[in-house]
Amino acid sequence: MRIAAFCPFTFSFCLAMRDSDFDVLLSRVVKPARYTDGEWNAVHKEPRSVRARAALIYPDVYEVGMSHLGLQILYHVLNSHPDFAAERAFAPWPDMEAELRSRGLPLTSLESRTPLREFDLIGITLPYELTYANVLNVLDLGGVPIRAAERGEEDPIVVGGGPGAVSPEPMAEFFDAILVGEGEEAIIEIAEAVTAPSRAEALEKLAQVAGVYVPSRYEAVFDGPGPRGALVARGGAPERIERRIVEDLEAAPFPTRQIVPFLDTVHSRVTLEIMRGCARGCRFCQAGATYRPRRMRSVETLLRQAEEAVATTGYDEISLLAFTSVDHTEIGELTARLVERFGPRGIGIALPSLRADAFSVELANTIQQVRKTGLTFAPEAASDRLRRVIRKQLTEDDLFAAAEAAFASGWTRLKLYFMIGLPTETDDEVAAIGELVHRLTTYARSALGGKQGRLQIGVSVTAFVPKPHTPFQWTPQEPTDGLVRKLGVLQRTLRGRHVKLSWSDPATSALEAAIARGDRRVGRVIEGAWRAGARFDSWGEHFEPSRWQQEFERQDLRPEDYANAALGFDERLAWDHVSCGVGKEALRAEAVAALDEGKS
Amino acid sequence: MAQFICRYRKAPEVRWISHLDLKRTLERAMRRAGLELELTKGHNPHPKISYGPPLPLGATGEAELLAFHLEEGADPNAIKERLSGQLPPGIEIAEVWAVPGYKKKETFGEVDLAEYVITVTGRIDAEQVREGVGKLLESEALMVQRGGERPEREVDLRPLIHSLEVAEVSEREVTLRARLTTGSHGGARPQEIVQLLGLEANDNVVRYHRTGVFASAEATAPRPRGVWRRWGRSRTGPSKS
Repeated sequence: MRIAAFCPFTFSFCLAMRDSDFDVLLSRVVKPARYTDGEWNAVHKEPRSVRARAALIYPDVYEVGMSHLGLQILYHVLNSHPDFAAERAFAPWPDMEAELRSRGLPLTSLESRTPLREFDLIGITLPYELTYANVLNVLDLGGVPIRAAERGEEDPIVVGGGPGAVSPEPMAEFFDAILVGEGEEAIIEIAEAVTAPSRAEALEKLAQVAGVYVPSRYEAVFDGPGPRGALVARGGAPERIERRIVEDLEAAPFPTRQIVPFLDTVHSRVTLEIMRGCARGCRFCQAGATYRPRRMRSVETLLRQAEEAVATTGYDEISLLAFTSVDHTEIGELTARLVERFGPRGIGIALPSLRADAFSVELANTIQQVRKTGLTFAPEAASDRLRRVIRKQLTEDDLFAAAEAAFASGWTRLKLYFMIGLPTETDDEVAAIGELVHRLTTYARSALGGKQGRLQIGVSVTAFVPKPHTPFQWTPQEPTDGLVRKLGVLQRTLRGRHVKLSWSDPATSALEAAIARGDRRVGRVIEGAWRAGARFDSWGEHFEPSRWQQEFERQDLRPEDYANAALGFDERLAWDHVSCGVGKEALRAEAVAALDEGKS
Repeated sequence: MAQFICRYRKAPEVRWISHLDLKRTLERAMRRAGLELELTKGHNPHPKISYGPPLPLGATGEAELLAFHLEEGADPNAIKERLSGQLPPGIEIAEVWAVPGYKKKETFGEVDLAEYVITVTGRIDAEQVREGVGKLLESEALMVQRGGERPEREVDLRPLIHSLEVAEVSEREVTLRARLTTGSHGGARPQEIVQLLGLEANDNVVRYHRTGVFASAEATAPRPRGVWRRWGRSRTGPSKS
């Protein structure tokens, strides 16, 4: 769409930064391999050979972004297409940002070191609310105006996607378009749209791609404080954006030539997506609600993909990715055949998402015959009543059966995930977490006998965050002081030398809730907080709650109106124009059922 | 079972890849190449591979060493070809040779000397550099602080510098050649020499390139059979310090 992209001189301008300049930058930062490219399976296409160049961005540091399967899928899909090329960029760590800003250098892609502003399309994942300040930072460092309204013909089209897209308003004004739902099919249609001769025509075409939301074609109407309000379509734009999903996961493109980072990333292994979506229906879970229905890949396809991926990456571990991998209907056969095929070659299989039951432990036993690293379960709540409220289908008997099976087969390390601040939760039910862990420890010590010295029970606690498109989207989050008090209750009841408690900062969860249920006004807060220096807010050491608090005040807003307000079933909400497959009536019925089931 | 040693080059493309990351990269490349590495016995089996002395981050080198054990014998040239096809740009296999009977524990422990070519580009005062080198070599002792270690300690670099010379110098660039003690018992880092000469200032661009690793005359560690016959000792010879 921009003449410059096809100009023969552009390529030399793209590489304006000489190697020696780049080396000086790299010599001054930690982990320079975050910025160097050249990893195995990275793709380098001649820019002049394609009709559109895309920069795919994950708004966190390289090691986190490179562990994200979605990025690898889109990179693979675009680069497999003769007309398009995709490169990567990540949020530079603050040391690199300081070097770039002090020298007036732009943030570039990894592959060809092209400044982001020279791409035709910028695709950014919205993985999590606390990365949103990084999104603005990446655009700004790349020389792209952060607000869509300020972009001109020469600027790239900026498209968002990923989990955050289902509640797009806080980021709406920074994006030209946002894809709601799954991207592997839509990305080609989006890249095609971007080749239009003008910005207006590109946006027009984007608006016609199923699942794409073009925020500039909607006007925000506010009904009151907090997320109360609606988006009114202008000029023939659809009133509702229907989430895009891949019908046939079996036929969907899957990258077996995954990029192999030099750096040790969060997941240094083959990621095999065995299933998408979840059939469990936990009421707090946004992903469970927005990635419906459950779709599975067949054992034969997965074996073939595993074989290809191992051959092209050289990894020595295969991780089976799914919300709950044990729910794959053929999981027993799949793991048995993977172990049979890869075990003798020294290649391990990892099952990161287990259920707390004896079957899961049995499965874990078949794949981890040598190294018994540890088992992770997520009871979420300690009382059966509270688990009924959140529809976590797990009883204490299941948990103890899982523990019994685990200890009997030699596991000595357990990790348990819990939430605090769940709807209708009492302080006694928080203390019950301590009591449950105590009962489990007592049981474990007798079951382990002589090996009890090796027993380790990790208890990880996060605060409940009400998320759009879940039955709890109307539910207030417990105020931060209440969460802090409950953490205190937990610390007092959770004792013992075998037990280790870790928790996430309640202030982080409060901001997460305020943004998750945010509207366009919250977008101004994000911009202000970024200008005030917010970066990497999901990294504890960089998060400063006061920066955000001040920005809410400056915008004359209260974060409590977003995070802690009880919203009415009949009120219009800032994300109602996005449809994720489960209707508002069904969500409401579940919300009512939650309270009913919590009475007994 | 068959034992091999490989010499490879670390070119500028991968100079920012740390030794640890490079090791992982080489092991993955060997698996992609279908080289069946012999695994250690025990609870946590891992491939029998050992590495020569690590390069500092940012440096390039042409004397990088790797020893590995394969389940079955193979033609060294075929191994070189297969492995070369699986390596990211910048890691280049120079040669592979068989070392029958080589044990993992022998590794490269006897390597205690490394030769670096250091190129500094920027504003250079040739006279000052020559003088600086002369002064360094005349010194009785060269105490430097090692901040990265705890507790912070002082190290005398002088006995660790076997030779240091100005190979070339102009207004824009100076090339130094240095032979420094290296290895697990403590060595001199080429960056420390550049710092002592005051060449790190003015945003100078400094490049470090390792041209050889050697076993000096004083080396006492057991010598892997056959290694230096093929490469190293016969090629450049040990320092005469």
